[in-house]
Amino acid sequence: MSVSELKERHAVATETVNNLRDRLKQRRLQLLDTDVAKYSVAQGRSPVKFGATDLVCCRTLQGHTGKVYSLDWTPERNRIVSASQDGRLIVWNALTSQKTHAIKLPCAWVMTCAFSPNGQTVACGGLDSVCSIFSLSSTADKDGTVPVSRMLSGHRGYVSCCQYVPNEDAHLITSSGDQTCVLWDVTTGLKTSVFGGEFQSGHTADVLSVSISGSNPNWFISGSCDTTARLWDTRAASRAVRTFHGHEGDVNTVKFFPDGQRFGTGSDDGTCRLYDIRTGHQLQVYQPQGDGENVPVTSIAFSASGRLLFAGYANNNACYVWDTLLGEIVLDLGELQDSHKNRISCLGMSADGSALCTGSWDSNLKIWAFGGHRRVI
Amino acid sequence: MSAPSCSVGGEVGGETCSALANSSLPPPCPKSPPEYPDLYGKRREAARVQMLEREIGFLEGEIKFIQGVQPASRCCKEVSDFVVANSDPLIPAQQKSQRHGRFWKWLCCGIPCLSLASFCCCCRSECSCHLKKPKCCIGSKCCGGSCSSNSCCCSSCSCFRCCCRSCPDLSCCMPTCFRSCTRPSCLNKKKSSCCRCSCKIRLSSCFRCPKLRLRCCFCNCKNLCSNPCCLAF
Repeated sequence: MSVSELKERHAVATETVNNLRDRLKQRRLQLLDTDVAKYSVAQGRSPVKFGATDLVCCRTLQGHTGKVYSLDWTPERNRIVSASQDGRLIVWNALTSQKTHAIKLPCAWVMTCAFSPNGQTVACGGLDSVCSIFSLSSTADKDGTVPVSRMLSGHRGYVSCCQYVPNEDAHLITSSGDQTCVLWDVTTGLKTSVFGGEFQSGHTADVLSVSISGSNPNWFISGSCDTTARLWDTRAASRAVRTFHGHEGDVNTVKFFPDGQRFGTGSDDGTCRLYDIRTGHQLQVYQPQGDGENVPVTSIAFSASGRLLFAGYANNNACYVWDTLLGEIVLDLGELQDSHKNRISCLGMSADGSALCTGSWDSNLKIWAFGGHRRVI
Repeated sequence: MSAPSCSVGGEVGGETCSALANSSLPPPCPKSPPEYPDLYGKRREAARVQMLEREIGFLEGEIKFIQGVQPASRCCKEVSDFVVANSDPLIPAQQKSQRHGRFWKWLCCGIPCLSLASFCCCCRSECSCHLKKPKCCIGSKCCGGSCSSNSCCCSSCSCFRCCCRSCPDLSCCMPTCFRSCTRPSCLNKKKSSCCRCSCKIRLSSCFRCPKLRLRCCFCNCKNLCSNPCCLAF
């Protein structure tokens, strides 16, 4: 076949793809007979109301000397690892605010960090395109340098996000600026599967975030600069199971809903959205009202029941708390006492849902918990 | 003045340029290179067409799938039912019925404190409340404050802000002296300016920066080891 015939086939195929996408979009719109907010109002759900001291900042973790970019909780034992522009990972005891480890990184330009399920290793990645693994039982030298246990090399772009597969210390998933996600075997340092890529069906721009399902660790969601989120099955890497459209800007952050059947997203278009993974429906859009410019969403987290959606935004120190059922903002952590002084870049909920940790460009992390009414026993 | 190259298809040989310049024939001009088939471009185009045709298959499959999909209202009901059925430590209405719970540990380690300003240091099985947060200590030496054995429970701490170890004077320590920076010895100098950072990293390739549609190259270190993607990172 000649090049000109190929180009003609290319044009015909492109038109067919566009027509099919339009048909799919129209069919989906017909199935969107309501959203979560309209349904909940019809059901008479009561709104969530916070008093002045119901949600308080009860810990400020100070120690980083640069912007905090990422944080992660251990599944238990209440420890947090954070990554910062200062080129360090710090491991905190979240209850006592004390630092148990401060790891100087070989490459200071770190973007993401994660705790292993057993809490004994931490992973990080960034502009060096490598995901580095550190064992917390290794001895640090006087400069705080801990030897790298394993380097997961192979991405051809920055590592934007990493997460260990739940209950599997030997596997983690990374997302990258090279438009792919990779499932790694940490013990060998080799790629198990690559999701997407140049000639595979996957994201068509940088992938910025991943979230693995807690109820089915074979599934994970990725969010990308191509404005889509995609559901992947680690057992079948050749193509995404489903692609979720709707956002009009980069999808910066994705997080599974506590039931494992839905997930939330945050985007440069200023909205958070809730999607259903089985049907592909967009169930709700969370958009702040106002005539101002859309402020990008940097990070999100769900509360234990899923009733609350915490969303950090790229302006000042705003962190809106959304009532996910009624689609309303019920609180702004940025307006509370002791709030951050700069943008909130990362959020994480503790495993038991009793505390939220926020990381900020003001170099601090803060822990928020229910203050409420206390009585002396 | 060097003689210009006159080799054009081997036609010219032996004649000097001055002879050519004086002849009535037009000056030679290089021929365009022969047209080689662009095999790489053709294969790449074929691969793109294959990808599009595969995408067509996926989309047709998706359209078939969606014929049997339930409407969004059923999914909304599932969301609502799940939220209502599960307790949430952070929601006020549910907290009033729980006097004790795991969330207490964030405030008082499970024992009453005199005021909201109190913080607890929980060390193994014992907790005690203090008006100030315990400092980071190594034995009896604490970073930035005094420390009694009853108020701290530190397993291992270090003064993270003191990074210029070679400096005899703590004022010489700059928090921006990271591993990638050189830290000249300050033994003979007692000024904080003696601790300087310089970038030892020499990048042969450019970083592709997140959220930017351009590449940032090299480590631009004037005063500090700055991030090469400093515009948006």
